[in-house]
Amino acid sequence: MIYVNDLKKEFKKAIKEPGLKGSIKALFKPNNEIIKAVDGITFHVPKGEILGFIGPNGAGKSTVIKMLTGILTPTSGTCTINGYVPQKDRQKYVKEIGVVFGQRTQLWWDLALRETYSVLKEIYDVPDKEFKQRMAFLNEVLELDSFITSPVRTLSLGQRMRADIAASLLHNPKVLFLDEPTIGLDVVVKDNIRNAIQKINAEEGTTVILTTHDLSDIELLCNRIVMIDKGKKVFDGQINELKHEFGQMRDLQFELVDINNVAKLDYCEHFNATADDLQLSNEGVMVSVRFNSDVVSVEDMLSYTLSKVHVKDINLKDADIEEIIRRMYRQEVSIDEV
Amino acid sequence: MRRMLRLHRIFVAQYMKNLMEYKVDFLTGAISFLIGQVVQIAFLGIIFSQIPNLVGWEFNEILFIYGFSLLPKGLDHLLFDNLWSVGYFIVRKGDFDKYLTRPINSLFYVICEKFCVDAFGELFIGLVLIVYSVIALKLTITWYMIPLFIIAVVFATLIYTSIKIATSAISFWTKASGHITHMFYMTNDFSKYPTTIYNKFVRTFITYVVPFAFTAFYPASFFLTGENPLFCIGGTVLASVVLFVISVCIWNRGIKAYESAGS
Ligand SMILES: Nc1ncnc2c1ncn2[C@@H]1O[C@H](COP(=O)(O)OP(=O)(O)O)[C@@H](O)[C@H]1O
Ligand SMILES: [Mg+2]
Repeated sequence: MIYVNDLKKEFKKAIKEPGLKGSIKALFKPNNEIIKAVDGITFHVPKGEILGFIGPNGAGKSTVIKMLTGILTPTSGTCTINGYVPQKDRQKYVKEIGVVFGQRTQLWWDLALRETYSVLKEIYDVPDKEFKQRMAFLNEVLELDSFITSPVRTLSLGQRMRADIAASLLHNPKVLFLDEPTIGLDVVVKDNIRNAIQKINAEEGTTVILTTHDLSDIELLCNRIVMIDKGKKVFDGQINELKHEFGQMRDLQFELVDINNVAKLDYCEHFNATADDLQLSNEGVMVSVRFNSDVVSVEDMLSYTLSKVHVKDINLKDADIEEIIRRMYRQEVSIDEV
Repeated sequence: MRRMLRLHRIFVAQYMKNLMEYKVDFLTGAISFLIGQVVQIAFLGIIFSQIPNLVGWEFNEILFIYGFSLLPKGLDHLLFDNLWSVGYFIVRKGDFDKYLTRPINSLFYVICEKFCVDAFGELFIGLVLIVYSVIALKLTITWYMIPLFIIAVVFATLIYTSIKIATSAISFWTKASGHITHMFYMTNDFSKYPTTIYNKFVRTFITYVVPFAFTAFYPASFFLTGENPLFCIGGTVLASVVLFVISVCIWNRGIKAYESAGS
């Protein structure tokens, strides 16, 4: 379905020394720095999968999406999607995909939303009957009704994002690309959007590739994640594999009877653990200990805690995926080989 | 093609609706344009009150050439104005992305998205000057003049448009090229007057390099004198077709070099 092979994209960036002298020098002897935004990425996505792209800011996620959608021409490497090379067969290819960039709308600023969809109907040649069905479906899952007569420029961010996603789905694409579809949205809208993505995927078998910062998107939506850092792939697999590999982190939370007892707790000293494996934080009487259960067993942790202080309430849970990924970035490990 | 025209109609209709919202903008634009034109024509009048003719052309003939020059310029302005935005900011800001993710030709898409009614000022004045000068000169109009006139105006428009396509496509490499388009575009002022008043360099330049002379003086001189149809009209057609093909090639190349913008 989607085959990406050793994809690379370099950007030239002119380095200009400050001041007029620098400008003149740059004019005659441009000093270019080459940024390897995407540095040899290979992956394959079967039909019907929801794949999450994650990675820190500037990792190259958007650049990958732009190459897959035919906006950018790769410096080297290939991608084929539904048998098309995006840059070569652009017009035919984009008919079969939907694209949403969370950071900027692709809709017409001054057009009322309803009219926007009629224009798109023309552009994608959607038959009347299908259009009606599709609109009814999108209306239902994305709740467009309340603002469908407003011009796009008057929509709130959450409304606009829903409008953009609906627009990308109008022609029933085989592949949907979403670059940061939940950025800056409140919980209700995020939920709404995740729902829509899930429904489309389940009902139409649409393949979805999304990038996100929000790891709950990943946890709730994705069958599989690809993590990239500095243009390179550092992880490719299921979320539970990731959790398994890195996931022995636990959170112990408890409420102290006496706030002054905090000082009595000295986990690092007692267990001789590094800050990576054990962290203590507290807000008043609420204390939270995050620890690696491979290094310190849950039993030892509990018995030490209870032997030192009196607690009103105690709670132990798995650390979330966010924490795991934060640890990965910090360590800059490559677990490509696992 | 039918789909494209239908699309264009939707955008135009939409645009007209918006225009009603921005009536004041439109009026101030139209009025300042009118004042500018009246000043220029008055200036021509003053010059001609001192000299009977300019390198063999009398005042009313100059008015005809001037009026003719406004038609292709106005049509290009009316229909293809969004190309300016491509060179000035669409590419630089990465907003060109959206033109590449729709199943229509990107050039067509960007062009048909906007429609610039200010241009009616140019078209109106152009027509008034032409009608006035034809009457004043007592020109006889033979039947074949009409289709030739239409052909000349259409292809002359294409010269303007092609130059805008080519120069705005430069922004795909340089990020912004509005000033380059502007620079080329400014040379069209030369085309409002007989090329014979210029030195050889300027004449060659506006005939063979940036062939703006074919947007006004050459075709207009044919309608005034009936001489040299092959060069005056044929040249207009040839120049515009060649230029258009080149500019579309540059555009298509440019798309491959387009770098979007980091977000
Ligand atoms: N149009 C561009 N021109 C120059 N550099 C760019 C451009 N787009 C992205 N980059 C650079 O490429 C790298 C990857 O960017 P991007 O793909 O936007 O990252 P992400 O989406 O993962 O945050 C960054 O270092 C960014 O500065
Ligand atoms: Mg990004």
